[in-house]
Amino acid sequence: MSNIHNASAKVISNEQIAADIYRLKFYNMKIAADCKPGQFVHIQCGRGRNFILRRPFSIHRKNGGGSFEILFQVVGEGTKALSNIKPRDELSLIGPIGNGFKIDDEARNILLVSGGLGIAPLIFLVDELLSEKRRVCVLLGAANRERLLYAIDLKRLVRKLHIATDDGSQGHQGPIVDLLPETIEEFEPEMIYACGPEGMLKRIAGIAGEYNIPAQVCLERRMACGVGACLSCVCKVKQEEKEIIKRVCIDGPVFKAEDIVWET
Amino acid sequence: MKNPIMTASGTFGSGREYVPFVNLNKLGALVVKSVTLNERSGNSCPRICETPSGILNSIGLQNSGIERFIAEEIPFLSSFDMPLIVNVAGESVEEYARVCALLEDVRGVSGIELNISCPNVKKGGMLFGQDPKMATEIVVECKKTTKIPLIVKLTPNIADNSIIAREVENAGADAVSLINTLMGMAIDIETFKPMLGNITGGLSGPAIRPVAVRMVWEVAKAVSIPVIGMGGISSARDAIEFFLVGAQAVAIGTANFIDPAATMNIVDELDSFLNEKGFKSIKEIIGQVKA
Repeated sequence: MSNIHNASAKVISNEQIAADIYRLKFYNMKIAADCKPGQFVHIQCGRGRNFILRRPFSIHRKNGGGSFEILFQVVGEGTKALSNIKPRDELSLIGPIGNGFKIDDEARNILLVSGGLGIAPLIFLVDELLSEKRRVCVLLGAANRERLLYAIDLKRLVRKLHIATDDGSQGHQGPIVDLLPETIEEFEPEMIYACGPEGMLKRIAGIAGEYNIPAQVCLERRMACGVGACLSCVCKVKQEEKEIIKRVCIDGPVFKAEDIVWET
Repeated sequence: MKNPIMTASGTFGSGREYVPFVNLNKLGALVVKSVTLNERSGNSCPRICETPSGILNSIGLQNSGIERFIAEEIPFLSSFDMPLIVNVAGESVEEYARVCALLEDVRGVSGIELNISCPNVKKGGMLFGQDPKMATEIVVECKKTTKIPLIVKLTPNIADNSIIAREVENAGADAVSLINTLMGMAIDIETFKPMLGNITGGLSGPAIRPVAVRMVWEVAKAVSIPVIGMGGISSARDAIEFFLVGAQAVAIGTANFIDPAATMNIVDELDSFLNEKGFKSIKEIIGQVKA
């Protein structure tokens, strides 16, 4: 079992990068040292007993020197509280949790598909893949151009970047997965990593299966304990003709796309 | 028991996942997640939702069944020396008795907690714990199949637990524990759908503590067997309320989600409290509420 810490992390910065999207940088040596792309931290969003449940956030980026970032959108009370957190505040974190993305030593051409806030764990993965000199192509989808996070950075960093917005304000108008088949034909990826709404992940699983390309998806579930004990966050996967139950927190959050029994 | 702090069933798995955060040997007792005769896959997601000062859960008693529990969890649990209490659930009296029979041959089980907040499928789904006859029948039948001490875990979804508590005491129960979760429901007003896949669920956490304290008080006055109190305890101060109304021990559940080391903190805080106030042991304050 990889190292998991129950620790206090100091806030270094909390930057609003779009209307309701924040990038929060923490300092904690142990969590920063042990974390890998695809893992998450389970955060207590308020002091005292304001919130019973922690909220899980993918680790967005490792900055070096003991700091790391999460990226989040304000969707409820917990994230609203987090948006008001100031530098020098301290929060209670458990992490890093989860299996993380598996990086295949042999794969050179790697395709990442991001829908909305799915970009959060994928930036950490991009950093890792580029440091290993892989050829990376990114499909970046969002509701509108304001929410196309990292479009400029990715254009500079990766081999190919294709964009889609729901409202057509930039790139293809429609779901980012619309661009997947032609990207596969053109880029010939040996591995696909995806994160985003579950409907998007299900479509990717189908297309990857048709082209016989291994794909890993990062799932999301409401969590209570976050450490594998309470069985709140389950999903079903196929294993040798049977369906078995897995915990998204520690058996995941990354799974082989072909194994998942989709709820939708 | 080294101390009167236990884990509440369902919040701690079999303890494995808490090893990075908790010294299991420091627990007064480890109460594991409910085991049933057969494997259960549990309810559809979402299985959890936050409510003011609490959570609603409808996990659905997911577990691998008693045989796999004995084969896979018992070896792990035997490597520790804290008392082990196995929580048992069932759909019929026979199922409870059969699981107890299987545990009888297992070494290292200090107690069995009978989770009677389960629907009796043979009686239209009424909770075993809501009917004195059904509750006592479980105790009587389980006493036939095991000598392991039996703790009956009572449900709060009932008007007066002191009657059931007395009845199960008469039937031979060695202790009672309470409260289990309160039945509740929450709706997502954006989608008009219930927040839980199972529609209703059990409420736990600080919100239920006053209900638990009151019920422990009532039951402790009604029986002479030990009473284990639980329901929304997140600090030693909360636990002390339960000791004062008569609990001999307490269990910590939802608080483990706030802080996985909650049990350890509470053991230490309780020690500090006793030292500060000049009490040599928790026994000096049990039942000392001035009411």
